Amino acid sequence: MNTIEVRDLRRIYKTTVGVVRRKIKEVVAVDGITFDVNRGELFGLLGPNGAGKTTMIKMLTTLLIPTDGTANILGYDVVHQANAIRSRIGFIFGGERGLYWRLSGIDNLRYFASLYHVDPEVTMKRIPQLLELVGLSDRGDEKVEGYSRGMKQRLHIARTLLHDPEILFLDEPTMGLDPVGGREIRQVIRDLQSEKKTILLTTHYMFEADALCERVAVIDQGRIVALDTPEALKQGVSDLSVIEIEVFGVPEEVMNQIRNLPFVDTVSVEDLDQKQALHVHSAKGSEAIPPLLSALESVRVGKVTVREPTLEDAYVRLVGGKV
Amino acid sequence: MSKVIANIRLFFQGAVLSYIALFAWLRPSTYIATKVVGPLAQILFFTLMGKFGTSGESADFYIIGNAIQITALSGIYGVTFSLAGDRWNGTLPYLFGTPANRMTMFLGRAVIHIIDGMFGVLIGFTWGVTLLGLDLSNTDPWALILVIAVTTFSTSGLGLMLGSLSLITRNVMFINNTAYFLLLVLSGSNIAIDRLPSALQAISNVLPLTRGIASARAIIDGATFRDVRPAMLEEIGIGIIYIMFGYVLFRWIEVLAKRRGTLEAM
Repeated sequence: MNTIEVRDLRRIYKTTVGVVRRKIKEVVAVDGITFDVNRGELFGLLGPNGAGKTTMIKMLTTLLIPTDGTANILGYDVVHQANAIRSRIGFIFGGERGLYWRLSGIDNLRYFASLYHVDPEVTMKRIPQLLELVGLSDRGDEKVEGYSRGMKQRLHIARTLLHDPEILFLDEPTMGLDPVGGREIRQVIRDLQSEKKTILLTTHYMFEADALCERVAVIDQGRIVALDTPEALKQGVSDLSVIEIEVFGVPEEVMNQIRNLPFVDTVSVEDLDQKQALHVHSAKGSEAIPPLLSALESVRVGKVTVREPTLEDAYVRLVGGKV
Repeated sequence: MSKVIANIRLFFQGAVLSYIALFAWLRPSTYIATKVVGPLAQILFFTLMGKFGTSGESADFYIIGNAIQITALSGIYGVTFSLAGDRWNGTLPYLFGTPANRMTMFLGRAVIHIIDGMFGVLIGFTWGVTLLGLDLSNTDPWALILVIAVTTFSTSGLGLMLGSLSLITRNVMFINNTAYFLLLVLSGSNIAIDRLPSALQAISNVLPLTRGIASARAIIDGATFRDVRPAMLEEIGIGIIYIMFGYVLFRWIEVLAKRRGTLEAM
């Protein structure tokens, strides 16, 4: 039995449009997704904004009822056996909310321990251990309102471990954190991985998925477009090189011109304050630079580099340039 | 740990921690302004206006009515904030993702507000006795405390129902203010029930506070608890009915949010 079994899962959101003549609009957030996660595995869900990652996590954590399909967690159905699942899983959603800011970190943990029916003696022992694990031992008795974003996120992780769940769902746990905060969270995730917890992680950061996940599913528009190990996904773009060109304001027609060049596979643009970085995927490597520069002759160009593809490049290719 | 003990623990720990975590007035200056100075202003306003502006009732009528009405500050505003606070904090998905018993979680939110509400009424009576000469020499104090406790319980029942409503509306204060001012008019705190039109009297009869205020006036006038016992049993019944309505609404909102995917938008 797999720890997580998802079969043809679908979720459609219905919203109303208009005031007088109301129309129902349907948005397909998850469109027939199937995958399994093995016991003790760290499995990643990657995808652009609106791809359906958070919707998927909500359905698996019993917070959202699927429109169609089935999902089993440790053999329990997420719709009909929700209560049996809740005591066996832990979850966090990215962001600062979800904690009681006027309570101390320790009181937040005490309250959630009682919500999960953790024995008081176990709670007394576990809270200091968890605060130690997430690096909050010396700040646990302070009110959460004084915590940094990273500290709140680490407290979330401690909260989700109170009842020693078998499975953890971490939805963009490093979202909005500075590099140091993000690194601390990743270290905590590695520690949990070494304890053989089954972890389902969603993230925007490819290097994070590359560094942590054993397998990755790339989701786009509610569907899985690839599911494999990070190495295998990178292998899928090993025929390509990535040419990074620093530009200062690139018009859309120039972008289209580059996209239409016969040797260009995909192009993505990364905004960097007052400049942008074009990431051009091409099998021609450095030979592609002269024709690219001539296409960019009307644009101010900075540094140009050629590098080997990463998981991010594999991802960009899979989702067609959407980041 | 047995489920019963776990639920008792959740009930009391949830009661205390949710009060500290979610009660918006829990800063000394705000608390004093709302729970000490505000009630004084209300009692003075209605007592002086009633005494000098109308010729109907004695000052005691208004002092007792408004002192008991103060319980609605905790019962309605306090309890509602304790439920709505989870929406503002973004903690609802995390609560609904736990296996905790929803009834225990729901009822626990009202406990400290009941104690706080009783304390508020005592402050109101203190103002009445010290500043406006309310005479309690003929009063059985334990009977009065019992009446205050029952009335605070039933008003908190209404608060739990309004608190559930606050999970689906953004305008919590509008609901609270409407309920509070309707009680000011219809509960008999400032207008004798028998002076209201019969349709409004029917509404008064299904509200909390109405029987509590009438019973408090009777006790202060020398009646015993035995005399007001039937009214108090009815008051308890009304409180339980509001709690049940509130709980059903709370569960319905949870199910609806999971169906519609609106849990984090609440």
